Amino acid sequence: MAEVVLDVRSITKTFGGLKAVNDLSFVVREGEIVSLIGPNGSGKTTTFNLITGLYEPDSGDVLLKDESIAGLKPGQIYERGISRTFQMLRLFSNMSILDNVLVGMHGRTRANVIDCMLHTPRMRREEAESVARAKEILGLFPGRFPASRHSQPALSLSYANRRRLEIARALAGEPALLLLDEPVAGMNPAESLEVMRQIRDLRDMGYTILMIEHDMNVIMGASDRVIAMDHGEKIAEGAPQEVANDPAVVEAYLGKRGADTAS
Amino acid sequence: MSFEHVFSLTVSGVTVGMIYALIALGYTMVYGVLQLINFAHGEVFTVGGYIAASTLIWIGVDASTPLWVKLGYFALALVVSVVVTATLGWLIERVAYRPLRGRSRIIPLLSAIGVSIFLQNLLIVIFGPEPIIMPTAIVPAGFVNVFGARVRILQIIVIAVSLLLMALLTWIVKGTRIGKAMRATSQDREAAEMMGIETNRTISFTFVIGSALAAIGGFIVAMYYGSLQFDTGFLYGLKAFTAAVLGGIGNIPGAVVGSLILGLAENWGVGLTLGLLAWLFVVGLALGLYIQMVHAPRRRIDHIADEFRTPEYEGRLKAVYRLAPVVAVKTLLSERTDALVHVSARHAVQLMAGNLVLFAFAVVFFMNGDVQFSSKWQHVISFAVLMAILMFRPSGILGENIQEKV
Ligand SMILES: Nc1ncnc2c1ncn2[C@@H]1O[C@H](COP(=O)(O)OP(=O)(O)OP(=O)(O)O)[C@@H](O)[C@H]1O
Ligand SMILES: [Mg+2]
Repeated sequence: MAEVVLDVRSITKTFGGLKAVNDLSFVVREGEIVSLIGPNGSGKTTTFNLITGLYEPDSGDVLLKDESIAGLKPGQIYERGISRTFQMLRLFSNMSILDNVLVGMHGRTRANVIDCMLHTPRMRREEAESVARAKEILGLFPGRFPASRHSQPALSLSYANRRRLEIARALAGEPALLLLDEPVAGMNPAESLEVMRQIRDLRDMGYTILMIEHDMNVIMGASDRVIAMDHGEKIAEGAPQEVANDPAVVEAYLGKRGADTAS
Repeated sequence: MSFEHVFSLTVSGVTVGMIYALIALGYTMVYGVLQLINFAHGEVFTVGGYIAASTLIWIGVDASTPLWVKLGYFALALVVSVVVTATLGWLIERVAYRPLRGRSRIIPLLSAIGVSIFLQNLLIVIFGPEPIIMPTAIVPAGFVNVFGARVRILQIIVIAVSLLLMALLTWIVKGTRIGKAMRATSQDREAAEMMGIETNRTISFTFVIGSALAAIGGFIVAMYYGSLQFDTGFLYGLKAFTAAVLGGIGNIPGAVVGSLILGLAENWGVGLTLGLLAWLFVVGLALGLYIQMVHAPRRRIDHIADEFRTPEYEGRLKAVYRLAPVVAVKTLLSERTDALVHVSARHAVQLMAGNLVLFAFAVVFFMNGDVQFSSKWQHVISFAVLMAILMFRPSGILGENIQEKV
């Protein structure tokens, strides 16, 4: 079996009495696409925030390739190889498309302030390499980021392309694990399908992906494994079809819907 | 009212504007990364001038010193002043702002005022309350004739050096890695942090750069006016802050534009008759009309997301600007259907109101063509500018560096 990239060990996070994530454990193996599903408010984004260091778990541990990363700063975790996208896009919208990707590489380039000021050969070489790599990453989304648009601000992109750009920026960190928080949210079916294919392509290129998704077509079409959450706890795990038919999962979604209609 | 007179007023205006800009850039950059108005920045500027002047006094330059030695002393004073002041800026952020980060905005503001008072008193304790006099031997004397007007060589140096510094800053911000970190930090600090940017170091760097520029500004003022006092920075700080708001706080080119406008307004305002000033309003009106008819609609059209971009939609946006007031007002009164059109309509009405005000001023000034403001009005003019900008366009001429999260 492939190597374990991410090992989440019974993490818990409470917000003033509310257990947003409760004793959650799972692993993600190399080259897998794992989907995290669950009704609204079930703790999926909080799980991402715990993995990426935005929050520190109250208890439990998170291991990236056998090294504990719980308690590290977000930037440190990023540099160790976990990149993410956000449910609500967080691009640097006034910066150019290319610069957004370059910012994603920031931690990888070593040039310091002095290098920048003096414009040393080392820095110039590094910069040229970064730009080439950034263009390569943008090229993973054929036709979406033509070279003529690279210097335009990110806010000039269509919504779907902004979501793609966020993925590109995350890839710039050369992640060992890519976290995607609802990558197709707000997209139309055709766009969702394209992004789903791109996510699969990324896996085929060797990326390991953990994504949160609500879109059943994407979950079924892209995931190797699905983990279902409810009230901060894992309620099911397995092949997509299995989890979708799991009584606990059906109950969680239906129960939620029942409660929603009742209120 | 001769051409030479207008020209030399213009040179003075640009010189003063450049000095304001050197200070305003610090306000605006810090605001960009921290959304904090660093009210101690005026004092940082004073300290820069004091350090430079006292270094030169301590060395003891006089008229007999050969020119190349003078240049060496000058460079030394500049380096000492920049290094000490930049360190001070760095320290202020570490001691007075960083521990308060994340508190409500009023708290670091109070801390800034505290630092400002502290620094003024520190200067009094060290140098005494009387002004520090710049050794005149170091100040480039002499005049050159430009278009028949006498221009101080110092003015030319000030303008050239400032332009150079601004070009350097632009390159740092746009072209370098640390500049990208600065822009990313100012747009979304948390996200920047998550991309591995060391935001604390970036913020420190911003204070260092801003303070270094202010130090050079302080040195220049000490040379230009011959002396500095412990509270000089208060007025300069306030003016530069006005300039930063005028150009759009957080916006780097805006700080320069705002400063130039303010410097020119102060000098022209009290040096020219109303008849001549009226022409400025005519020029302003032409510019305002250009912005309303051509520039603003074009910018707006760039904001249309790809999926909505159709010729009809672009035409509709243009109409809102070009056919204002009719279309704009109608849009504002109608049901709120399309956010972009609605925002554009509000913008168009504002632009139109601004153009009307410019027109009114032009008419009134032409009608009182011979009157002239006395020089006592200089500060009044600056603050009238501030009031006007806060009333008509609080986001500044070039717009605030808005934290657009898309
Ligand atoms: N910073 C916070 N402070 C307080 N409560 C929070 C915070 N973040 C999340 N929560 C709460 O934790 C619970 C889980 O939220 P989370 O965002 O993880 O849900 P989610 O599964 O991502 O939902 P969705 O599908 O709507 O994105 C919610 O009840 C939410 O209100
Ligand atoms: Mg969520």
